[in-house]
Amino acid sequence: MKKFLNEPAAFVDEMVEGILAAHPEQLAAVAGALRCLVRANAPRANKVGIATGGGSGHLPLFLGYVGEGMLDGCAVGGVFQSPSADQMLQVTRTIDSGAGVLYIFGNYGGDIMNFDMAAEMAQMDDIQVEQVIAGEDVASAPKEQHEKRRGVAGIFYLYKVAGALADEGASLEEVKQIAIKAGENVRTMGVALTPCIIPEVGKPGFEIGAGEMEIGMGIHGERGIRRGPLLKADQIVDEMLPVILNDLPYESGDEVSVLINGLGATPKEELYVLNRRVSQILGERGITVFNTYVGEYATSMEMAGASVSLLRLDDELKRLLAKPASTPFFTQLQLEGANP
Amino acid sequence: MITILTAQEVKTALTEIRQLMDANRDRLLDLDNDLGDGDLGLTMAKGFAAAEAEAAESEETEPGRLLIKAGMQMAKEAPSTLGTLLATGMMRGGKALDGQQGSVTEQVAALLQAFVAGILERGKTKPGNKTIVDSLHPAALAMKQTAEQGETLAEGLKKALAAAREGEIAARAMQAQHGRAAYYQEQSIGKPDGGAVVGVLIVEGLAKAWGE
Repeated sequence: MKKFLNEPAAFVDEMVEGILAAHPEQLAAVAGALRCLVRANAPRANKVGIATGGGSGHLPLFLGYVGEGMLDGCAVGGVFQSPSADQMLQVTRTIDSGAGVLYIFGNYGGDIMNFDMAAEMAQMDDIQVEQVIAGEDVASAPKEQHEKRRGVAGIFYLYKVAGALADEGASLEEVKQIAIKAGENVRTMGVALTPCIIPEVGKPGFEIGAGEMEIGMGIHGERGIRRGPLLKADQIVDEMLPVILNDLPYESGDEVSVLINGLGATPKEELYVLNRRVSQILGERGITVFNTYVGEYATSMEMAGASVSLLRLDDELKRLLAKPASTPFFTQLQLEGANP
Repeated sequence: MITILTAQEVKTALTEIRQLMDANRDRLLDLDNDLGDGDLGLTMAKGFAAAEAEAAESEETEPGRLLIKAGMQMAKEAPSTLGTLLATGMMRGGKALDGQQGSVTEQVAALLQAFVAGILERGKTKPGNKTIVDSLHPAALAMKQTAEQGETLAEGLKKALAAAREGEIAARAMQAQHGRAAYYQEQSIGKPDGGAVVGVLIVEGLAKAWGE
């Protein structure tokens, strides 16, 4: 695999330097620390701050959603590595306006430990901190053990609705509750076609055979549900989507938002081929779609593959999802069809 | 003999522990090469050096608050899993010290118990998983028992150190459950755990600083 690289060890810092150079009006590094990113105008007066963090290698996750209507800060880890508690603390101190800070992050051991530690340290500074852990990958654990599920692309919806509510001046508890509600109503499942390469390692950490796919693989190559011959696009959706639908379950009469996410190397054309079948099945099941997002929202370096996420909407989630947002990696105008 | 724990005692202890980490740096590196990612000796030397320096420069006179400050510096300079867990232990131990009105033996017992409890909670582990807890937990228990029996701090630390050493030896027979060491599964059995050795060094440092 060919890559654009200088020194592999400098990969993450150089990526951040490039992002800061491209978006100086939106993003800033805390006191020059490239791995601690905040909105350029942080903190926003009287607004609950929302912070996230996680390993690099997943753009637009995590830092790409720092901006208007979404997040206030992000601690940036090495590729597939948790950032440190101290980085999270620096971000927390910078984005707290006095209204408190909500951490939203994925369900991974290192991230949990470090955000927990950061929260404890921030509380010593008298900063109120609450945490919501996203874990919606139905392939990563059975429903009875949902607390073990990994957080993947569906975390986008938590950021979107929590960010929209925080912008309206809601309290820390209210913002936390809407993030929890989004988390309870979102489910994701993915399929991987090729492995990915950590730049400092230089070769894939696992293999997927030329004619194979792995259904349910995680965004760091975690084991999925089944490995098998690559099927046709419709057959893949026919296998994955019912697992998502039956898990919540999503039922006739429900309204959902759909997120078709590319894992890094899959062209948008193919994502739309997948969405064609997703939309057919949802129609057959009597589930209406309010808004469909298709593109890269949570990647795994150059992995080829995709994930499908559904967010079940109620009036409140729909209203917040529809609000405008503007970040370096995600921009949305007010969506039509939701009560403002 | 120490009759009350002051900020100076915390500084002395951090210096003793930092010296032990320096002296054992290569041994820890070797252990971690066998079962981890090979940087344990470096992160411990760096983390305790940062904690020691933070405490030495601080004007804080409350021993508990000084330990909390040193812990936060450890979190900053040694952001590995073990560094974060030790920082947690120092912060929780410091909090426990501030509320502790009893004898110096009881103070140190409370510190060690809170230290271990913090690691157990944040690391989501329990004794028996081949971690630092397997040397520190028996040490904290031994310290608690001597405090309850009204014995001296020196006696308590002597027993705590013996318990830590026994615990570290017992941990060799365990199978790793956490971190990179867990990938080795049964192959981890029979090998010393770097974290458990770090636990022994910490208790040894306390015994050197406060045990006379």
